[in-house]
Amino acid sequence: MKRNMYTRITIVLFIIGLMMAVQYNTIRKPAERDTRDIWAIREELSEEKKQHSALLAEIRSLDDVVNRYEQSEETNMQAVLNETVESLKQQAGLTDVTGPGVILRIELAPELVAMGYEIEEISPDLLIQLTNSLFKYSATNVAIDGNRIVHTTAIRDINGETTVNSVPLSSPPFEIHVGTNSYKDAKKMYNSLQASTFIDSFYLDNYNLIIEEPTYELTIPAFENSLTNDYLTEAKKGE
Amino acid sequence: MWLPFLGLLLGIAFGLLTNIQIPTVYENYLSIAVLAALDTLFGGIRAQLQQVYDDKVFMSGFFFNIMLAAGLAFLGVHLGVDLYLAAIFAFGVRLFQNIAIIRRILLTKWDEKRHKKKIYP
Repeated sequence: MKRNMYTRITIVLFIIGLMMAVQYNTIRKPAERDTRDIWAIREELSEEKKQHSALLAEIRSLDDVVNRYEQSEETNMQAVLNETVESLKQQAGLTDVTGPGVILRIELAPELVAMGYEIEEISPDLLIQLTNSLFKYSATNVAIDGNRIVHTTAIRDINGETTVNSVPLSSPPFEIHVGTNSYKDAKKMYNSLQASTFIDSFYLDNYNLIIEEPTYELTIPAFENSLTNDYLTEAKKGE
Repeated sequence: MWLPFLGLLLGIAFGLLTNIQIPTVYENYLSIAVLAALDTLFGGIRAQLQQVYDDKVFMSGFFFNIMLAAGLAFLGVHLGVDLYLAAIFAFGVRLFQNIAIIRRILLTKWDEKRHKKKIYP
């Protein structure tokens, strides 16, 4: 009799548990609905396509390197390795780069100086924004007042002085050198910058931003300090 | 003793793992059914403690209550009156009453046990 009761209660509890779980599922589930329309999906697809082709290009270049390694075997292995090191250095910004580009000059606005406005340090935020926009307009190498921007570069205020790579900027006028892949890109950047609000933004800080015509030959200096990486360690072979 | 809990866990696991979902329209019915089932369960436990438990009453009550609650909700939807509130109210009140009675009975039993221990240690 008692055993029978337990079985019944077990069945009932099983049903209750099932019902509660189903209820829980039902209430929780309609989490995300896909509300993108065709256009948004197309945009996303094109984004992915772009990434796809970039990855393919990278694969091809790496394959190329592998091929050259294999072909050269022992004879001039060192030369190929050196080449790789050189290209990596170039990527990291440790070499001088010459190519097409645009020069931006930052000067004090003479009329404001004449009016007796006090000239303050150029604000790091403005420089950061400018740098970000430059890279957005497909800049490849940027140097602010001779300080090359690398991936660890900090543009910040140290004791009231605006610094790039911890080097204080010299007092204006100074130049920002922007390198691009091709002259076409440089021209495009020139036009984008002319159309942007940066000239106004700099004028608000009492500076004139002068964007010079793109040139074919612009040398961008190398990053002078040594790169520090605190978190990368050498991987052992075979790991 | 642990068999019922095993059943409960099994039911929950089964429900979660199979990922069954019901249309949102029927959510109300299910919630009422859960309430009815809980009510019947606690009624059964109370009856067992009061030694008036009957298998037939328990099982028929379980299914009948669930169906009645769902039917009431269904009727309410079609009449435009929120009749399921009546079911929720009724079951809710009974649930609390049953749990209160169970608590009292358990407390009394516990007291008696302690008393006995004092007299015959």
